[in-house]
Amino acid sequence: MERVSLQRLIHQLSEFWAEQGCVIQEPYDLEVGAGTMHPDTFLRVLGPEPWRVGYVQPSRRPADARYGENPFRLGKHYQFQVILKPSPADVQPLYVRSLEAMGIDLSLHDLRFEEDNWEAPTLGAWGLGWQVMLDGMEITQFTYFQQAGGLDLDPISAEITYGLERLAMFLGRIRSVYDVEWVSDGPSYGAVRHQDEVEFSKYYFEVADVDFLRSQFDGWEAESGRCLEAGLVLPAYECALKCSQLFNVLDARGAISVTDRVAVIKRIRRLAVDCAAEYVASRERLGFPLLGSWLETGDD
Amino acid sequence: MTEFFLEVRCEEIPARMLRPGTRELAMRMFEELMAHQLTPRTVKTAFTPRRLALTLEGLAEREPDREEQVVGPPKSAAFDAAGKPTQAAIGFARRCGLEVDELEIIRTEKGEYLAAQQKTEGRATSELLAELTPRILAGLNWPKVMRWGDGQGPWVRPIHGIVALLGGRIVDFELFGIASGNLTAGHPWLSPKRFEVSDSTDYGRKMARRRIVVKHDKRQQRILAQMKHLAQAAGGRVVEDQRLLDKLASICEIPGVVEGQFDPDYLSLPREVLVTSLRDHQSAFGVESRGKLLPRFLTVMDRADDPDGRVRAGNEWVVAARLEDARFFYQEDRRRPLAERAADLEQLTFHARLGSYAEKTERLVQLGGMICDSLGQTDHADRVAEAAGLLKMDLTTEMVKEFTSLQGVMGGVYAREEGAPDVIWQAIYDQYLPGSTDDPIPQGPVGQIVGLADRIDSLVGIFGLGLKPTSSKDPFGLRRAAQGVVRIALEGNLGIDLDLVAAKAFQLYGDRLELPGKEILESWRPFLFDRVRYLLGLEGYAYDEIEAAVAVGGTNLPDVKARVAAIHTVRGEAGFLPVVLSAKRIANILKDGTEESVRKEILVESAEQDLYDAFQTLREGTEEAEARGDFVSCLRQIAGFADVLDRFFVEVLVMDENLELRNNRLALLRSIQRVLSRTAELTRLVVDKGEYRDD
Repeated sequence: MERVSLQRLIHQLSEFWAEQGCVIQEPYDLEVGAGTMHPDTFLRVLGPEPWRVGYVQPSRRPADARYGENPFRLGKHYQFQVILKPSPADVQPLYVRSLEAMGIDLSLHDLRFEEDNWEAPTLGAWGLGWQVMLDGMEITQFTYFQQAGGLDLDPISAEITYGLERLAMFLGRIRSVYDVEWVSDGPSYGAVRHQDEVEFSKYYFEVADVDFLRSQFDGWEAESGRCLEAGLVLPAYECALKCSQLFNVLDARGAISVTDRVAVIKRIRRLAVDCAAEYVASRERLGFPLLGSWLETGDD
Repeated sequence: MTEFFLEVRCEEIPARMLRPGTRELAMRMFEELMAHQLTPRTVKTAFTPRRLALTLEGLAEREPDREEQVVGPPKSAAFDAAGKPTQAAIGFARRCGLEVDELEIIRTEKGEYLAAQQKTEGRATSELLAELTPRILAGLNWPKVMRWGDGQGPWVRPIHGIVALLGGRIVDFELFGIASGNLTAGHPWLSPKRFEVSDSTDYGRKMARRRIVVKHDKRQQRILAQMKHLAQAAGGRVVEDQRLLDKLASICEIPGVVEGQFDPDYLSLPREVLVTSLRDHQSAFGVESRGKLLPRFLTVMDRADDPDGRVRAGNEWVVAARLEDARFFYQEDRRRPLAERAADLEQLTFHARLGSYAEKTERLVQLGGMICDSLGQTDHADRVAEAAGLLKMDLTTEMVKEFTSLQGVMGGVYAREEGAPDVIWQAIYDQYLPGSTDDPIPQGPVGQIVGLADRIDSLVGIFGLGLKPTSSKDPFGLRRAAQGVVRIALEGNLGIDLDLVAAKAFQLYGDRLELPGKEILESWRPFLFDRVRYLLGLEGYAYDEIEAAVAVGGTNLPDVKARVAAIHTVRGEAGFLPVVLSAKRIANILKDGTEESVRKEILVESAEQDLYDAFQTLREGTEEAEARGDFVSCLRQIAGFADVLDRFFVEVLVMDENLELRNNRLALLRSIQRVLSRTAELTRLVVDKGEYRDD
């Protein structure tokens, strides 16, 4: 059995993808639901500029919070997110090598790619790909982005999203996420994060002030529009992300009815679509500065 | 004669698309080659998630040369008065690449024309294949396609290599930037090195050396054989599931089987839950012995062995986590009996414009009661009401939220464990039956009645919003619902007028529906009868027999079927064909007649008087037989009426000059027509005789 700690996995993945020429970014400093929402994914996959990035993204899913009592489900989990744009022909072998870099010896394991398509209605985004199964356990989402912000993508980006807690649990055969070692022979995941899960569960489900959050939503939505009018796409997108997170909290709080849901999703999508279009225009005005930043990488 | 071998190597194609994609590739290659008179002797296909392969044997080296006659201008326009070729003739010859004196004159229906014999040399097969293979590959109709890299594609997944060999020589082409060649590769991380292949035999041998089994049915056999062996060794047998086996063979190219165990404590979960959790979450089979599950499972890995036991340990870890989840759901769900979940149903939308499941439940209770009344099965009424009231409760359980495929079944299981009577829990359990053509209908009348009510409620509701399915889109599964209605009514022998049930369903919706009831009924009836035609057709009835019975207009399906069966039985008997012909003749005569009653006193000819008398007997006899539901007897009596009808037509002139006599005879025929068409619309029957072809 491999000896696994969460931060060792992060270190190994960062090192591996840095070697592949990726910008190793830090998490986005806002609350987001997934690594995809980080502007270094959602915005960078738009337009003609190449991009290679890898980063950890704490991802908040209020509805999945379980007061720290469920061994698998978390209100916040950690993703390691990689974007390769354009997707290189050898992206699958590269991914396989990243597993080996984490000490997974594929001559001893079963690895399968099962159809799993991805769609994010609030982002106007979808892609085709797989969930990657290691010995029957889903460890990665692998997606070829086809559309984001309602725009057809060209070139196409490959997105690789590793679920870090799952990987650590699975490799260490650990039954509860709270028993994962954050640091080898040091504090566990539970020691580092348990209070966070308990308090945020209580906040999301019991304490969050629905009226206040609704007014926040309206406010950030308007602010996003104002930023766009001022030609400030990155601040506008941040405002959109705040709306997205507010929606998730309101939803967990049970404050979004079935009929509301469609309408609210539409409002966020509107923001994302507007930001996407404006982002491409802004990059064009700058002359697509990243063009030619990476040497062509090898074919298989 | 030579062989064309094609392999396309790509990233993992979704399991459900592999077979249709490969089949389409083979069909289109075959058809196009046939169009070039290069019909292959045999077509063989194979596929794994990462490759599609096609072998066409017995191809000629070239397509045959063709000689074609090209027709030019008429002779009259081709030569002038002096017999010299005109510009028209010279131009035609030039287009054909010939001299005018090499042209010939041919005779056609329209006169004499100039013509040329044109020879087209057949192309080399390799050249033709190089043109059509990439075109066909690129044009395959995948359900979903994608682009990759710098916009290559669209195809189902990125392509990495193409082998195209005709008689061992490379057929040169390019697809999405990938050049064809003779190189392929094995399993991407177990045997990734590329290697050359020379033909299909060499390919098969070299793949086998890498333990890759390219044929799906062989993988399926190997998987099943290994599973049976392992199950036997554990003292049990595999819980059969052909669809799962088919899927497993589609998610690996090396068909390895891995066996795992789980904590026997989980066996306290209902069998349905265990089997579904194993299947849906882990693509795994259960193992049973004497009808009881063992704490074991079997699934596939894309490798031949598990040298360090890690594959097994990993799968066991995941299965344990999943079963723990299932146990949690099961325990949570059982804290609250089904009957106490009514309030939750109000929160659950059946359809945004049709209200909640609570409202649906209310309607189902009423509709079930109405069906019981109509069937005269009032002794079931209480049971039907009880089952209908609990029918949808399981939609609020955690288990069904997790495993939607357990809806209905789970409600049945929970009801059973709560001590509900057999008929109640079984009715809930069976409510989605038949889900597919192989499924039986619900056991027993209570299950059948609620199953019928549920589907008719949905059909009327969705049709009532104007959301009738189209040929390609059926988001609410209404075809399956209608098929369920028809099968339950027919196989359950529920002799009830479905129009009445639908009308009641319409009424129960109150003002929710957007279309008027009449319009809904008129659009759902043909939709329903498409399924009736299909299902009765499957039973071997001819389409005109079905049409003749359907045209009578009833929506009591067992009754419709009895009529079809009666026609089928009587059709070949003496007298039947003549009476059908007479019926058609009457229909022609009466095309636009008036409505009058027959006056016996002015029936003057003996043939018409006899007809009248025989008709009275026929009317009474058929009425009596019809009341008994004895349609065979009805049709036989009608057939027995053939002679007297024939005599009437021979001896009596219907269109008499005396208008009074004429109208009286027409009135008589009209009365007869009503009786003749009461059991079946005889004019719909196709008679194999030129002048009586069906319209």
